Amino acid sequence: MSSTAELQKGVIKEEKTEIVVKVKRFSKERGEWWQEYKLAVDRFTQITEVLRRIRSEQDPSLSYRAACHMAVCGSCAMKINGAPRLACKTLALDLVKRYNDNVITLEPMDRFPVVKDLITDMTEFYDKMYSVKPRLYPSPQVLEDKAQHRLRPEDQRLLWKYAQCIWCGLCVSSCPAVRIDEKFLGPAAHAKGFRFLADPRDTIQEERMKILLDSAWRCTYCYMCFEVCPREIEPVEAIKLTRTYTPPEGMSEVSRMGEKHTDAIKESITKSGKLMEAYVYGKAYGAGAIRDFVYFLASGRGKYLLVREKPVNNISEVKKLMGEAK
Amino acid sequence: MEKSSYDAVVVGAGLAGLMSAYYIAKDKHRVAVISKVFPTRSHSSAAEGGIAAYIKGNSDPNDNPDYMTYDTVKGGDYLVDQDAAELLSNKSGEIVEIMERWGALFNRQPDGRVAIRYFGGQTYPRTRFVGDKTGMALLHTLFERTSGENIDIFPEWFALDLVIDDSKRVNGVVAMEMKTMNPIFFKARAVVLATGGMGMLYRHTTNSYINTGDGYGMALRAGAPIKDPEFVQFHPTALYPSDILISEAARGEGAILKNVNGERFMTKYAPHKLDLAPRDVVSRAILTEVKEGRGYPGVYVGLDLTHLGEKYIKERLALAYEAAKTFAGVDAVNEPIPVRPAQHYYMGGIDVNTMGQNEEIKGLFAAGEAACVSVHGANRLGSNSLLETLVFGRETGITVSRYLSATPELSVDTNPEPILDEAYKFVKSESGVPFGEILEKLRDAMWDRVGVFRDEDGLREALSTITSLREKVKEMYVTDKSGVYNTEFFNALEMRNMMDLAVVIAKAALERRESRGAHYRLDYPKRDDANYLVHTLAYIRGNTVEITTKPVRMTRWQPEERVY
Amino acid sequence: MKIAYYPGCATHGYAHDVDTATKIVAETLGIELVEVDDWNCCGGGFLDEKDPVSHVALNLRNLSQVEKMGFNKMTTPCSVCLHSHRKAEVVYKEDTNLRRSVDERIKETSVKYSGNSTTEHLVWILVRDVGVETIKSRVKKPLTGIRVAAFYGCQMLRPSKYLGFEDPFTAKSLETLIQTTGATPVTFPMRSACCGFPLMGSNEKGALRLAFNVLNSAKQMNSDLLVHPCSLCHLQMDITQEKVKAEFNLTWRLPAIYITQLLGLAFGYSADELEIPKYAREVLTEKGYLTTF
Repeated sequence: MSSTAELQKGVIKEEKTEIVVKVKRFSKERGEWWQEYKLAVDRFTQITEVLRRIRSEQDPSLSYRAACHMAVCGSCAMKINGAPRLACKTLALDLVKRYNDNVITLEPMDRFPVVKDLITDMTEFYDKMYSVKPRLYPSPQVLEDKAQHRLRPEDQRLLWKYAQCIWCGLCVSSCPAVRIDEKFLGPAAHAKGFRFLADPRDTIQEERMKILLDSAWRCTYCYMCFEVCPREIEPVEAIKLTRTYTPPEGMSEVSRMGEKHTDAIKESITKSGKLMEAYVYGKAYGAGAIRDFVYFLASGRGKYLLVREKPVNNISEVKKLMGEAK
Repeated sequence: MEKSSYDAVVVGAGLAGLMSAYYIAKDKHRVAVISKVFPTRSHSSAAEGGIAAYIKGNSDPNDNPDYMTYDTVKGGDYLVDQDAAELLSNKSGEIVEIMERWGALFNRQPDGRVAIRYFGGQTYPRTRFVGDKTGMALLHTLFERTSGENIDIFPEWFALDLVIDDSKRVNGVVAMEMKTMNPIFFKARAVVLATGGMGMLYRHTTNSYINTGDGYGMALRAGAPIKDPEFVQFHPTALYPSDILISEAARGEGAILKNVNGERFMTKYAPHKLDLAPRDVVSRAILTEVKEGRGYPGVYVGLDLTHLGEKYIKERLALAYEAAKTFAGVDAVNEPIPVRPAQHYYMGGIDVNTMGQNEEIKGLFAAGEAACVSVHGANRLGSNSLLETLVFGRETGITVSRYLSATPELSVDTNPEPILDEAYKFVKSESGVPFGEILEKLRDAMWDRVGVFRDEDGLREALSTITSLREKVKEMYVTDKSGVYNTEFFNALEMRNMMDLAVVIAKAALERRESRGAHYRLDYPKRDDANYLVHTLAYIRGNTVEITTKPVRMTRWQPEERVY
Repeated sequence: MKIAYYPGCATHGYAHDVDTATKIVAETLGIELVEVDDWNCCGGGFLDEKDPVSHVALNLRNLSQVEKMGFNKMTTPCSVCLHSHRKAEVVYKEDTNLRRSVDERIKETSVKYSGNSTTEHLVWILVRDVGVETIKSRVKKPLTGIRVAAFYGCQMLRPSKYLGFEDPFTAKSLETLIQTTGATPVTFPMRSACCGFPLMGSNEKGALRLAFNVLNSAKQMNSDLLVHPCSLCHLQMDITQEKVKAEFNLTWRLPAIYITQLLGLAFGYSADELEIPKYAREVLTEKGYLTTF
């Protein structure tokens, strides 16, 4: 039964459930420790409210960030039951139900250095955001009020999707590519970067491509950012869209390789309707493929070279679907 | 204490603070922005529905800025300074155009121009919006803009108090880096307080946890008055029970309030404007329905969107839809959203003129919700707060810049150390009252007795409770002795700010024996222009609150009966 | 049970052993896999970035073929193929602009997509439809004593908006299946991290590091083998592991096999029948699970 219907009948007595909250705490003076709190909550209680009540009623020393309690300010990012989440957007009893356990664990986000309890140092995140020049550079005529911006509703919709990043850091904290590659700007900065790259009112598109393109090819498409983003920005999709841009001059090695690889895949599909691995390898890596061949043979997979997958019979249909030849 | 010199310091990095900093820096003055949160976490981001603006060539053909001023004056129950409201209306169009140029992604009409919708109390539709995350969109646009300018931003620095010299002149502000707990005296000839509102004084509020009225406390301790402190806005449609704001945009887009019998009860309270009557009117209507037994058992009413259709709801009212779904488990496509009034906005604030300048303390400026320019009077209209932050943020910035050019460098060297000594007392104490104990009692007292409906007895009781709680602040102590990001210490300082403001609100509410806008006295249900068409000015002198008055500035609109 | 089967290019190519083992296991469990008629490539996880319209159109063609065969569902052993189809299904529903372009493309072809048919991972079918008890009942040679790391990778789990079979942070389908074989499932920290395969094309160094992180995390928990649900993870964790070994000067290996290969072993099939990869055979032999090499 829906909650309003229940409430209309007055059957809800705001039933309280006892939960145990385990917080991974840290202070410079004491180091790291786990602390447990018990409190009774109802099914509307957000984790931010759990934290506020612990601080107000049990332990004033517990440190965390929280502000808007409605998932627009991005302050309360943390790991809840091991997953990157916003505390305000998480209801305590939802977790109890989902994990079938009345113990809830709270930890600071991964990746960023812990400062105190659930508070992390997000300098790296902010620096990455600033590095994409996150602001519109309109034409001088517009700035001088000699011309007017217009924006098609569909462009507004596309840009707004990626403009809604609330700088919470959850995606970067859980991104594997950021962890291994300092040249990768990370999901949030890419969403932000694309929001301006694709803005028809902007005037520094070439510079933006220089900033974004090499990095875009360093993403590994694991969809973690898509999964954890509390605003459903889908940063990985911004990266995919960024890869479709071609910079005006010289591509970096990473983006050149990446583009060659993707082109080879598309060509293979256009030709045969399938991804012919040998074809893609040869096309993308050229002579470099020979080195891989050694490993391939060593693994005992040589026999599969003889497996020849047949092309799609109705190849003309595939070509039509790919927009080739009318 | 370490010292750092600037021409001006802005406290608060929401829309008002950043806007004023932008215009101070534009004239090459050295400006620091201090904020206890990273700028995008500021409460401006929570503003949902929109920003009102009369844009020439892109408004209702019958509309003009005078209608907008009239709506604002009437909405504010004539406690509005009409010159300030005129300025607000006249500059509304250009301020929206500035934000547009800087990249704000306003919703568009099919021809590419900025779109428009109705909000409460508007004669013609004027609200410009970015979905229902307008505040967030504007704050990000402005922050991103200013992050490319020559402005030193100090995020997660907590401002303790203003440094004032013997001739009642601002010398700067003492602030502490929250991470390192390192205090610095920011020496400056001008300080802009843009610290936002104070919702945490109330048990139920739509405000952020960070809205603890820090600027009001700082101003009061510096000897500046709070103007019209008794005027607290209660938003009619906070989600039950989490108090998350369901934007007025919902009603602007056609949502209807219904009581437990399914009746559209606003027909009784505002026969013409119905659900789009101003917020004070609607809040009282809801609570009257509840009091008379026509609310739902949890003490709320229903906000019905179901007739708007799924596509429309999800596109135009995404945040309201999402909030109801996530936080109350209600699918607004199929059933009404449970709502009740909650504290939402503070019309009162640091007394400043239309240039953002306090006239008693030289070098003190304020903007946004922290300030009281008197554009909202006794009740603010929806969509006027975002507008105020930007219009008066800019006016204040320009004034500060002018002030700096005309004011020589400070020659005196006022000792800021006592400010620190005062603050450190809380950590040095080994026993006493933790802040939470005081806070919870304060929030209940304010909600129960200084809320939507008030009366003499309740206010007297509240005042006595608050006064004794304020005494307890002296015994407050911080259990955590950590020297890194000690949030308990900052919570204690916030508690002090909240108490200084609370006592002023209760006292002023007691002294205003009439009903006007959001200040509703059950024992004096009528507006009394003969005695009370004046602003309240409240000062704290030691342990007492001093109340004086100041005339309301009228230009063209004489008070008339306020019916909707 | 009869179900449409979409092997995908890798499963019919360099990861052919996945196909072989999957067919054997399906048959043993009474599942009749009917290969989708004249299927085409899903885009390999890359076509959507180059050409989103073609990506959706091609994936809808596969689903259209499935519908023509009288099914409302197809299953695939490859997480990337699964992800690619699921994405196409979702964006076709949600993105009206894209849908318009796709409809334009499919207009003059035989493709008819009702919007009702969908794609499911083979693992889901095994866990949900076949069930633990049935699988257990087929086990002839329990793999008792061997520690098997359950590696999910990305594309079977994330994003839940496309996939949604299980919570990406608490997934347990692989552990459930491993348990049926008598082996000890190992839940390790990097269980749902990226294997690095998608990065091989553009940034091999980074890809190797990602692969190493996964292998190392599982190895740290004393795993003997690693089991996964994806034909591309298969290539990465098998062939590319040798590159990882060289790059990081490793003195150890953690051989990887596909989940149906593990099930097949427990069902009593030989390593040859299941085409168990070379490095895994070494470990299995050493542990005494394979008598002949």
